[in-house]
Amino acid sequence: MINSLLKKLMNRTDSKDVAKKRLKFALVYDKLEVREDILTDLQNDLVDVISRYFEIDRCGLVLDLDRSDGCSALVLNTPILSARRQ
Amino acid sequence: MEGKIIVVTSGKGGVGKTTVTASIGAALALQGKRVAVVDMDIGLRNLDVVMGLENRIVFNIVDLINGRCKIRQAAIKDRRINNLFLIPASQSDDKNAIKPEDMSKICEQLKKEFDFTFLDCPAGIEQGFKNAIEAADEALVVCTPEVSAVRDADRVIGLLYARSITPKLIVNRIIPKMVQKGDMLSHEDVVEVLSIDLVGLVEMDDAVVIATNTGTPLVMQKDSKAGKAFTRIGMRLDGHPDLPVEDPSSQKSLWKKLGITFSRKNRIAS
Repeated sequence: MINSLLKKLMNRTDSKDVAKKRLKFALVYDKLEVREDILTDLQNDLVDVISRYFEIDRCGLVLDLDRSDGCSALVLNTPILSARRQ
Repeated sequence: MEGKIIVVTSGKGGVGKTTVTASIGAALALQGKRVAVVDMDIGLRNLDVVMGLENRIVFNIVDLINGRCKIRQAAIKDRRINNLFLIPASQSDDKNAIKPEDMSKICEQLKKEFDFTFLDCPAGIEQGFKNAIEAADEALVVCTPEVSAVRDADRVIGLLYARSITPKLIVNRIIPKMVQKGDMLSHEDVVEVLSIDLVGLVEMDDAVVIATNTGTPLVMQKDSKAGKAFTRIGMRLDGHPDLPVEDPSSQKSLWKKLGITFSRKNRIAS
C-alpha cells in the first residue's frame, strides 16, 4: 500500500502493470492471427465469386490482413480486366 | 460411481505441473480417495522421480495401452500413502507411441478403479497434449505470474474450451513480497486476463525443492505453505468447491482474516 503510494508520488509505474498491459496486447494480437492455408482458401473462394461478375487477373490479386493499433482489416486488391455481360 | 479424469496442463513448461499433479494426488489419497496419477510425458518422464517411485517401475503407460500388462501391474503403489498409485510414462518411446483413442479406452477402465485420475500433461500443444486432454472430464491449468506463462495458459484454455472442457486455474509460485511491491502480477491480474475460475493459489516455497530432492510427498510436510495450499485444492476438487482460496499476498492480520470470513459468509447467505 505505502509502497504503491510512494511510487505514484514519484510517478513510477509498477512493473506488473507494464506486464499486464503487454500481456493484454499480446493476447489480442495472438487471436487475430490467421493460418496461412485459411487465407489461401479464402482467396480462392473470393476469386471464384468475383469472377462471376468481373473478368480479373488472378495473378494480380493480393489478399492481406492488415493489423494496426486496435483494429484489424482484410484488404483485397485486384485488377479488373472487364465486367462480364449477362 | 465412476471416478473423474482430471488433466493438469499449462502450455508452458517448468511452471510446476508435475509438482501440482503429485501433490494434489497425494492430498486426495490422504483424504481417503483412491487416486491414480499418470505421467503423460512419454520420452521425458519425471513424475516418478518427483514422487520417489523411480526404482519400482516395471511397466508403463505404453505397455498398458499395448496390452502388455493390466492396470494393476502398471500402477505402482505408494508405500507411504494408502490408495495412491502412479502409472509412469515410457522413457524409450515418443509422444506418437499412443493415440487419443487409446487414452479414451484406458481412461474408461481407470474411472472404474479410481475416484480420481490425474493426467500430468507434457508441455506444448502437440500430440502429447492431444493425448492427455482427449479423455479428460476436467482440467486444471497451472500458471505462474509471468507474461510467458499467462500467454501460454490462455492458448491452452482456448484449446480446452474447443473440446467443451471448462478449466480451472492454479496460480503457482507466487512471491508475496514482489506482489506487494507491484513487481509481480497478482492473482487478480492473472484471473482478469484469463477470465476463468480460480481453484488455488500456491506460494513460492523452498519446501518444494527439498521435497523433490528427496522424493517425499510435499503434502506430508506439516510446515509447508505450498503443501497446505495443495491440500486445500484437493478438498475443493472433492466436494468442497466453496472452501475459500487463501491469498498468500495479503498481510495476515487477524482483522483481515476475519474480514474475509465475514464477507464470504455474507455472500453464501445472500
